[in-house]
Amino acid sequence: MITTSSKLFYGLGTLSFVGALVWVVAHDGSSLGSIALIFLAVSLLFLGGIASYVRDGHVLSTDTTAHASAPAAQSASGNSWWPLASALSLGMVVVGLISSPGIFKIGVALSIAMFGEWMITNWSDRASADATYNDKVRGWVVHPLEIPIGGALLLTVIVLSFSRIMLSVSTGAGPIIFGVVGTVVLVGGSLVSVRRGVSKTLVGGACAVALVALTGVGLATALNGERHELVEAAEYDHYAVHPCGEEAEEYDEEASRAVSAKSSVAATVIFKDGELYAEMDGFPDPLTSISLQRSYDLTILFRNESVGEHRMILNYGNVVEDLGGGVTRDSKLQACTALIGEGGEQAIIVRIPKPSSASPQSPYNIVVSGVEDSSIEVLVP
Amino acid sequence: MSTVETMKDRGAEPMKILPRGHAALKASLAVSALTFLASCARDAPQDTWQPAGPNAEQIDNLQRPVFYVAGVVGVIVLVAIGWAIWRYRDRGQAIPEQTHGKPVVEVVLTVIPALILLGVAIPTAGSIFKLAKTSDTEMTINVTGQQWWWEYDYPAVGPNAEQYGITAPIVTSGQLVIPENTKVLLRVTSRDVIHSYWIPKLNGKKDSVPGRVHLLRLEGAKPGIYAGQCTEFCGLSHSYMRMEAVVLSRADYNAWVANQLEAYTSPAAGTLAAEGEGVFIQQCSRCHQVNGLLNAVGEPIISAPDQYMVSGAAPNLTNLMTRNTFAGASWDLLTPECREDVWKSDSATFGAKYLNGVTTDCLNQKDLREWLRNAPGKKPMYANPENLAATGGKYRGMPALGLTEDQINSIVAYLLERK
Ligand code: HEC
Ligand SMILES: [Cu+2]
Repeated sequence: MITTSSKLFYGLGTLSFVGALVWVVAHDGSSLGSIALIFLAVSLLFLGGIASYVRDGHVLSTDTTAHASAPAAQSASGNSWWPLASALSLGMVVVGLISSPGIFKIGVALSIAMFGEWMITNWSDRASADATYNDKVRGWVVHPLEIPIGGALLLTVIVLSFSRIMLSVSTGAGPIIFGVVGTVVLVGGSLVSVRRGVSKTLVGGACAVALVALTGVGLATALNGERHELVEAAEYDHYAVHPCGEEAEEYDEEASRAVSAKSSVAATVIFKDGELYAEMDGFPDPLTSISLQRSYDLTILFRNESVGEHRMILNYGNVVEDLGGGVTRDSKLQACTALIGEGGEQAIIVRIPKPSSASPQSPYNIVVSGVEDSSIEVLVP
Repeated sequence: MSTVETMKDRGAEPMKILPRGHAALKASLAVSALTFLASCARDAPQDTWQPAGPNAEQIDNLQRPVFYVAGVVGVIVLVAIGWAIWRYRDRGQAIPEQTHGKPVVEVVLTVIPALILLGVAIPTAGSIFKLAKTSDTEMTINVTGQQWWWEYDYPAVGPNAEQYGITAPIVTSGQLVIPENTKVLLRVTSRDVIHSYWIPKLNGKKDSVPGRVHLLRLEGAKPGIYAGQCTEFCGLSHSYMRMEAVVLSRADYNAWVANQLEAYTSPAAGTLAAEGEGVFIQQCSRCHQVNGLLNAVGEPIISAPDQYMVSGAAPNLTNLMTRNTFAGASWDLLTPECREDVWKSDSATFGAKYLNGVTTDCLNQKDLREWLRNAPGKKPMYANPENLAATGGKYRGMPALGLTEDQINSIVAYLLERK
């Protein structure tokens, strides 16, 4: 039987089928589009069949009780804010389109979320004839998503605000602020947990005020910028390999002390009592000749255990650049740490492109600035 | 509709299902039988149940009892489930009274597995520590994975140089060569994505992760060749990323090292191989290092895989014909008969046969020539020069070089002398 809605499906299905035929004729050889269209046609015809079979879900007009109790006849359980939220998100997409890709992406994500919420609410409002059950059923569907995502967003706001504050206050004030805030949270939490009578509104209100304050201060400090030492350190970039000899003021002497968790130390080079030696995983004894892999990001850690400041220098050959017109420039390949004080250490990351046999005239080695008679031979196969 | 009818309907159902049940039973029996028979394979080079060294034995001693206990538990559980399903099947009887909890059963069923797990955990912890020990290392080798082959480099430092005569770096690929009854420590890492190194008969697996060096003990109790493969999915040709560990007696090992360190000798002038050297310099030496190869003005030729490969590396071919597989140990350099002769020989004669390398008579011409004709046709690799935008023109794998048959003939002759 052809019903009102099945008509639509049958029509669309037939259209897709015709489309598939046209596709085959128009794009001889390429069948991907026609396969997609035929699938579409089959699915639409199938939906049409269902609509026919259930007669569009119509209830006989004479069956008044069924009318009154039908889920579709129920009114919504409350005002829905999702249409408004969806419209705002769409607005954000438009704003993003003309301003920045970041806003656009957030807008798209928000739109999907808000439209999704709207659809689920619409569905759950009429899932059954029982309003309380409908409310519950919405929770089952969206809470597993809403609660963790909401929690994560809240955490992000807290962490971001707090980190902005910590990045802008002076190094001395940081620990004090951290200690005070921590204590307040701990004491407050303990009080609430011990005194069971505390009203929910009071606790909620306090948390809300704290959140607003934190976000506000965070925002203000973010606009104000990081403390100047950090700004300068970022410009200097501790992690980059600097031309050997270029020395910047050390802002944060231990900045590169930690080797990232993703990497292992290929070799630890130690300068102790005027002697240079290396320790490597897999070699039980200290080495004065080490073998490093070619074409591999090596992390080499230098530790200065001698008096005075020293810099580790890794020499790994030369490059000959062709400057054109028969002129070439021969320059040394070197990687260096900064000047490291006694007891300090620094890691450098270096990739050696050529084997050590490539430059018999200038052997690869590790030396320390100002110390002539101690070096580590470097073999790169 | 009467109750009697309903009962009859219900009674009829199992009858209808029965033939289908038989089919399912047969199918599952067939699958089990096949699985069981597969476990009887005689030629199973990667069988974890046949350890060939102390590290693998350590694992075996742990997994065997656990497997047996787990097997018995598994059978008991399956039989109990099967019996319960059959005994209490729906015959139309009333649903029994629903009760909750039976403390005695619950406690017993918690305590017994807990005890079993504790019994497994204690020796497991012990084994983990034994397998992680590195202080007794006698030899150290770098093992570097890249898509889709393994590079071995034998550092010419420390005990390697002092006790094993490795006085200059040795770089090989595919086949790791180690002395018997020697505590070798592999420093496993990767140049591109995560791979995993596994020689089942010698030890467990160890992931090779870019930027990280993971240590893996390896020790072979007697001479022989032990197969393995990359066990971390690493892209297109993961299944062609195999490797072997070759264990040699100390005397044979010394001979192997000496041979690896032998100076390069150019083919005799006027031979096909000499022609091949020229083609090699032109076509291959930009990626492949052959130590000691000199250019026209007598300077050493240094390969530049860093300019052509995403991983920055290509196999070192200095002594290609001392190994007997190639391209991620996926194809043999030996003809089937010669391979059988080496691989199946007993530990007393293995070393001498392995040290013979690939002779002219034994060279598997077919696969090597196919490789030289069109490497990516043999092993899928991202080596089509037209599709390298994503990697800035660098290859993952060896490209097809469009060599003529004459060039291939000469290169094969040249490669045959690389041992
Ligand atoms: C663009 C770089 C490049 C060039 C040029 C090149 N190859 Fe390769 N070749 C490779 C890479 C990479 C592999 C490793 C492929 C693999 O196993 O996945 C390889 C593997 C091989 C192997 C197997 C080596 C082993 O130990 O498993 C042989 C043999 C070989 N190439 C020979 C040649 C010859 C001969 C030429 C010159 C005609 C040549 N190659 C040119 C990159 C190159
Ligand atoms: Cu791999």
